[in-house]
Amino acid sequence: MQLNIQFKKGVLELCVLAMLDEKDCYGYELVNEISKNILISEGTIYPLLRRLKEEGYFTTYLQESQEGPPRKYYKLTDLGKETKDSLIKEWDFFVNGVNNIIRGEDLNE
Amino acid sequence: MNKAEFINTLETSLGNIPVEEKKDILYDYEEHFSIGLENNKTEDEIAEALGNPRILAKQFKADYAFKQAENNASTNNIIKAVIAGIGLGLFNLIFLSGIFLSLIAVLISLFVSAFAVVLSGIILFLGNFIISITPYISLPFNVYANPVGAILFSVGIICLGLLFFIGDCYISKYFYKATLSYLKWNLKIIKNSN
Repeated sequence: MQLNIQFKKGVLELCVLAMLDEKDCYGYELVNEISKNILISEGTIYPLLRRLKEEGYFTTYLQESQEGPPRKYYKLTDLGKETKDSLIKEWDFFVNGVNNIIRGEDLNE
Repeated sequence: MNKAEFINTLETSLGNIPVEEKKDILYDYEEHFSIGLENNKTEDEIAEALGNPRILAKQFKADYAFKQAENNASTNNIIKAVIAGIGLGLFNLIFLSGIFLSLIAVLISLFVSAFAVVLSGIILFLGNFIISITPYISLPFNVYANPVGAILFSVGIICLGLLFFIGDCYISKYFYKATLSYLKWNLKIIKNSN
């Protein structure tokens, strides 16, 4: 259970960066999309976003919305894109490795 | 829990983070609630999905404390970061405190011994001049056999005690520095795995 929590934390960073690579998103969008696929306490996305912004992976801007108050959009920086690319590489390598072991496949053959 | 309860609990739990940072954090959740309501969720549903605001606050406080410790590695900031980290259960407190406390005990006894040596030296010294002291203190040897020797000996004991004391001060200083470095190192590890 402990491993699961730590594991999720690392993976969430990858998910956020990957989504922002597709398009700029506001907080609720990110939370919604991620929680559809991964079981998380939704509120924890926001400290993560805050920390990643401090690290310089994205910038934020406000955009007026028809429905209510202006929404805070997150936009990936170059550093964020680089980090996302390297995290995806690590992820693919990791997933391949685990699949090799548990399913006995070797995808390189 | 409704929106007001959630936001208020979060705000209170955030404690003494700077106002600007608090406002920024709360803004995100306000926005989240308002969009959730637009999507026909109830406040209770939204709050439930967000999770426990006290736990979220701990995460924010820890992130802030780590950031402060990184930017300005003062003793104060490091201690705050450690406490925040403990709040998240990131330190093995029992292990740390056991060793730490025994080291503190050793340090205290070193100081006490230094003090005792100095004190015994002073008493030995005084015993040469004030005969009334000697009947109350049983000395292990004849102090009055060679007065000059006895006086010099007691002065030597006093100096030994003072040197011992100075040595203890240096030991404390290095112990303090070592503790700080150890804590900083721990913080680095936690930050990197976080």
